Amino acid sequence: MNTVQPEKALPEAVETPSRFRNPIGKFVVTRNSRCTGCGLCASLCPHGVHIKPEGYAKPLPPRSERCVGTACEKCEYYCVARCPNKALSVSFNSTLETMGDYRWTPEMLIAHWHMAETGNLPEVDLEYSLGSSGGGFDKMRFRTPVPSEYIKISDEVIDTSLDLNRRGDERPQKTLSLPCYGGGMSFGSTALNVIVGRARAAKRLNTMTCTGEGGYPPEFLPYAEHVITQVATGLFGVREETIQNAPVVEFKYAQGAKPGLGGHLLGDKVTPEVAAMRETVVGSSLFSPFPFHSVYSVEDHKKHLDWIKEINPRALLSIKVSTPSDADMVAVGSYYAGAHIIHFDGSYGGTGAAPDIAKKNIAMPIEYAIPRIHRFLKAEGVREKVCLIASGGIRNAVDAAKAIALGADGVVIGTADLVALDCIRCGKCESGRGCARGIASTDAELGRMISEEYAEQRIVNMYTAWRKQWCEILRQYGLRSTRELVGRSDLLVNMDYLDEAERAKYKPAPQNKLVI
Amino acid sequence: MPQENNSIIDDLLAARACLPLSGLDETEAAEEGGCGVTGFIASVPVSGRHIMEPSFQMHNRGNGKGGGIAAVGLSAVSLGVAQDVLDSHYLIQVALLDPSLRQAVEAEFITPFLDVHSASEVPHLADFREVKGLEIKPPDVMRYFARVKPAELNRFISENKLGAMDVRKAEDEFISQNSFRLNQKYYSSLVDKKAFVLSHGRDIMILKIVGYAEQVAQYYQLEDFKAHGWIAHQRYPTKGRVWHPGGAHPFIGMDEALVHNGDFANYYAITEYLRQFNIQPQFLTDTEVSVQLFDLWNRTFNYPLEYIIEAMAPTSEYDFDQLLPEKQRIYKHIQSTHLPASPDGPWFFIIARNNPYEHYKQLIGITDTSMLRPQVFALQEGEVQIGLICSEKQAVDSTLESLSREDRRFRPVADKYWNARGGSASDGGAFIFTIRDSGKGDGSKKLVCTNKFGDAVNVPAGQKPFNPPADYDAPVSRNAISQAVRSALSAADNTDFMRYFIHGMAKWNYASVIFLCHELTDIGLSDKARSAAIEILTALNDLRYPTGDKKRSSVLQIIRDALHRLFEGTPDFTTGSVSGYRRLDWFGRGDLRAPSGNEKVLLVNARDFPPEGAECDARFIVSAFQLGWRRFICYGYRGQRFTGCGLGKETDGVRIDVYDSSGDYLASGIDGMEIRVHGNAQDQLGQIMKRGKLVVFGDVGQTLMYGAKGGDVFIMGNAAGRPLINAVGRPKMVINGTCLDFLAESFMAGDPLKGGGFVILNGIEFDEEGKVRELNSPYPGSNLFSLASGGAIYIRDPHGQVVGEQLNGGEIVELSQADWDLIRPYLAENERLFGISIENDLLSVKGQQKPFTEVYRKVQPVKTGAPKPPPVKEKACKPA
Repeated sequence: MNTVQPEKALPEAVETPSRFRNPIGKFVVTRNSRCTGCGLCASLCPHGVHIKPEGYAKPLPPRSERCVGTACEKCEYYCVARCPNKALSVSFNSTLETMGDYRWTPEMLIAHWHMAETGNLPEVDLEYSLGSSGGGFDKMRFRTPVPSEYIKISDEVIDTSLDLNRRGDERPQKTLSLPCYGGGMSFGSTALNVIVGRARAAKRLNTMTCTGEGGYPPEFLPYAEHVITQVATGLFGVREETIQNAPVVEFKYAQGAKPGLGGHLLGDKVTPEVAAMRETVVGSSLFSPFPFHSVYSVEDHKKHLDWIKEINPRALLSIKVSTPSDADMVAVGSYYAGAHIIHFDGSYGGTGAAPDIAKKNIAMPIEYAIPRIHRFLKAEGVREKVCLIASGGIRNAVDAAKAIALGADGVVIGTADLVALDCIRCGKCESGRGCARGIASTDAELGRMISEEYAEQRIVNMYTAWRKQWCEILRQYGLRSTRELVGRSDLLVNMDYLDEAERAKYKPAPQNKLVI
Repeated sequence: MPQENNSIIDDLLAARACLPLSGLDETEAAEEGGCGVTGFIASVPVSGRHIMEPSFQMHNRGNGKGGGIAAVGLSAVSLGVAQDVLDSHYLIQVALLDPSLRQAVEAEFITPFLDVHSASEVPHLADFREVKGLEIKPPDVMRYFARVKPAELNRFISENKLGAMDVRKAEDEFISQNSFRLNQKYYSSLVDKKAFVLSHGRDIMILKIVGYAEQVAQYYQLEDFKAHGWIAHQRYPTKGRVWHPGGAHPFIGMDEALVHNGDFANYYAITEYLRQFNIQPQFLTDTEVSVQLFDLWNRTFNYPLEYIIEAMAPTSEYDFDQLLPEKQRIYKHIQSTHLPASPDGPWFFIIARNNPYEHYKQLIGITDTSMLRPQVFALQEGEVQIGLICSEKQAVDSTLESLSREDRRFRPVADKYWNARGGSASDGGAFIFTIRDSGKGDGSKKLVCTNKFGDAVNVPAGQKPFNPPADYDAPVSRNAISQAVRSALSAADNTDFMRYFIHGMAKWNYASVIFLCHELTDIGLSDKARSAAIEILTALNDLRYPTGDKKRSSVLQIIRDALHRLFEGTPDFTTGSVSGYRRLDWFGRGDLRAPSGNEKVLLVNARDFPPEGAECDARFIVSAFQLGWRRFICYGYRGQRFTGCGLGKETDGVRIDVYDSSGDYLASGIDGMEIRVHGNAQDQLGQIMKRGKLVVFGDVGQTLMYGAKGGDVFIMGNAAGRPLINAVGRPKMVINGTCLDFLAESFMAGDPLKGGGFVILNGIEFDEEGKVRELNSPYPGSNLFSLASGGAIYIRDPHGQVVGEQLNGGEIVELSQADWDLIRPYLAENERLFGISIENDLLSVKGQQKPFTEVYRKVQPVKTGAPKPPPVKEKACKPA
């Protein structure tokens, strides 16, 4: 532990509207032909739905996504009621029924778009912390806070930092300002501007992003101190210098979304640029084998870590594994093998490229795995020596806080970053030329729909909003840092284990029925 | 007769049904961990200190949380009993984790049933802290030489209706059940483990501790204890807190001890299978069930060893097709009955065994069918014989080095080293070293090495080992040698000298070879002479030539000694010298500085450097490189890892020559430099290699060039398993021997004719005369070029032995002129490096010159129907 970096000031949120026209909101505001252009609605609405610029005869089309909907009915400025010509109406947006899925509900998506645009938590009545999956984090709540526990401190003095080196070995300390960092997304699976935008955001947020298994584009170099080099089983694009560039090297043994299946990039996405980066054949599918062919036991594992340590004497080492039934053993084994970070990837994660049968059936759900590993490491007396990271279906700030309360030191986020960039969770990441929204695509046209700057600011905004939420959770329970939240599973309740009266005190999870 | 056998089996199984239930929950995952294993068996008893050196060398395969040693073919003198007692009595060793229980254990399990010839505590150091690094007190161990009381045995036989059985085998069963009950009462049924049986066979014993294996020998004072066979295990349990050695290896069956490196996926399935035969685990490790399987198939079903090995590592796929129909019929039955119990996953067993009925001792190594664990076998013949099986070659070498220091009949270099592939049709992937009476009537023993099928593994016959000091005297051709050396040291190249040497070698005696080496090493200290001498001795070390009546291993030993003399004779940094050579070792590492003046070559004696970590020699080389050194000679290796790693990109002009037992991951990630390994190399070489050149004058281990992007690689011998897996870009490799399986799986290296990568597989070996000959099959494995989408294999297969069944996604086509023009320069370099002639060796089939189209075949990816990539409008995908 040579240097402890001081807590860095958090970056500014900058309003960054969606790059698409007609953003989707929970409500639809319509203005019919009876409108005379009196402009009353524009002067009334505090949410900015109605805008009538100087000299315009009529207001602009309503900015429906800003509308708080029926919650406004009782307000004296409720536009529908006040319109002298009854030209306005508000209704639920039926698009929501066709959007998202049971884990990422339409409201959760819309709320994250809002956060990515504004850096604030949404004012519209959106349930963005709970999904409709009927299990996992959706069954879990923070217990009702006791008012006397509340401490009135500002966000600035709350500590959300995360130390990555807790071994106390000769390697440097690295402290992130947020208890989370970005998961691996390869050049190939994801557009270059998206992954570079994530790296730029990571630099501004003083956290990190990860190369995934697709090589190390030179565009990462200005942000190298915030880019994890992933060494995965296919070893695509991994070279000595990419290992030497990185402050943290991540061994990806498996993904929770598809343990035992390795990786697979379909031929369609192997464009000339992707093939060049990975030094493979254009148009040929690329396989990452399931295991490391050089690692079939724990002493091989240690040797593998020793190798990376030899190549890069300052790197911290992270082990990313899925959550097998013996996850606790894997954690202890990794600690003794010399890992600084042990990263468990549970079963809920994965984009469209992970097969459903695997996503839903193989690995242990992360909320089971975390406390089990946390306790096992404690019993072994080494919990304070490792940085325990959880990922796999951690969708929002509250999920992240729950994972930490269950025993993780921090979390890794993948999908939410993409949602910040307008992902609609259509689940077609792998097909054809890739993503219609230009996120998960390296196609010559689709892959350039996003600029680095846009990606950077949207992601910065979303985490800025998340931090606000974490601070509020911490204040409620009298905590001053996310470190104090680690392992506080006493702050959580599971709806299944509450009696009916107790359960009624909590807001039920949304019961979306999707028409997909 | 078969009827009778079956009834005995049924009776035996029924007898075991009466044993108490262990009550353990096998659905709880077996304890996990990795390890290093080593073992040897010799025709003469050798002392326990020689298992300590290889054990110490493999510390990095264990973590000091479990070490164990077994010995077989023990010395009656060391044990203080008469030979007939040792032969006939059970040697029962009970570990007392709670020493106060001795009386209770004896009263319940020893005295009532056994006639104890002698009982004693296994001697040990007074204070365990005398053993450096030992943190947990090893258990007190009681040793009993005993037989079952005749009355008790009769009762046991009649109660269990074992009358049809050989009485002695019934007695074995009694001992086995008695140990089970003892373990049940004092070990597996308790939360606080109190006592368990370490071993109970005849003429075999096991000791284990929480610590490293060599500490077993130190604590129990086995340094001078003599036995024919020794095995040791360094355990790496995943779980951190371990306070007793119950889970350490070896584990016992009846008269065998097994150590294991690996991890099964089907532990639970195996326990279910065993339960059908009333066999229950007590220690919850996959090693225990492995030896239970062995014991079941051996002692209950009376399978011959070949069938036991088949049940463990079934022959499948292409290998099965190659078996004779009769063998297929038997193997099919074995597989259909026992396949659920075949360990699935990476594993490698070493078994030390006594067969008191047929009077032999054995050391057996069995590998899994996918070769997922590293292993190396070695054999040395001579006045005494020894067979060795280890996780790493360096452990073989350190065993031999240790032995040769004490007993000159052992020599530091083995006659033969090889790897194995489980379930192979050619050798079965298992090798057995058997010691039995030599028949000379003097009580001496001889060692025979056989494969699974019983075929003998031999070394060249009629050659004498080096026998100092007698062989120091009377060199022949003294003057001529002197003359030749002198002109060689001033010659432009060593072609003439090599011709002279190869010609002379066949008729020289050892003294001549020694004289020649001394002429080379002592002739002067000029850099020119030194450089020429290093070059000549290196060539003599690397190349193959007939050695006449001398053993090649002995000649190598002399040449390597000479090389070391040369290396050690170079100046270090503290002596003023005009030489361009500078030498450093662990103790002088602090003297390292940038090269000055004409200093060019840095010699690094890696011997005492740690094998990994911040202070390892590989990091030291990086520091030297950063100071400006470019030319390295590294020697004295004992498995030190990562040589050449960490120098970063664009290291053109750097060259490292590596001598002795180099370690894993050598040349992994190199980008531009050249590394030459003068001898066999270990596992994971050239992983993610980017550019540069790697030459190995010998065999290489597993996963060579995994994920490599490029580089030119030349292998003189074999590449064990999975070379080039997941390689991309433009790697180019020549393997002159063969690869046991999974060559170029998921190869993605473009089109070789457009700058992509390829591998040339020559399928040849050197015979005893140093001449090139074809292997029986250029590629014996079942999987060739599986899932590959790019690159190609050029395989020398003049007899068309490679068939479509071995391919999965590849096709065999004829070479075009363009292919030949592409590979010919690589074969030419191969010829220059190894002396394997394109015209006379590779293109010559049974003495006949053939066109390349009739000798080489090309394996390339089948063109898939994958859609073409979309047209690209702009070249670069720059940020908007």
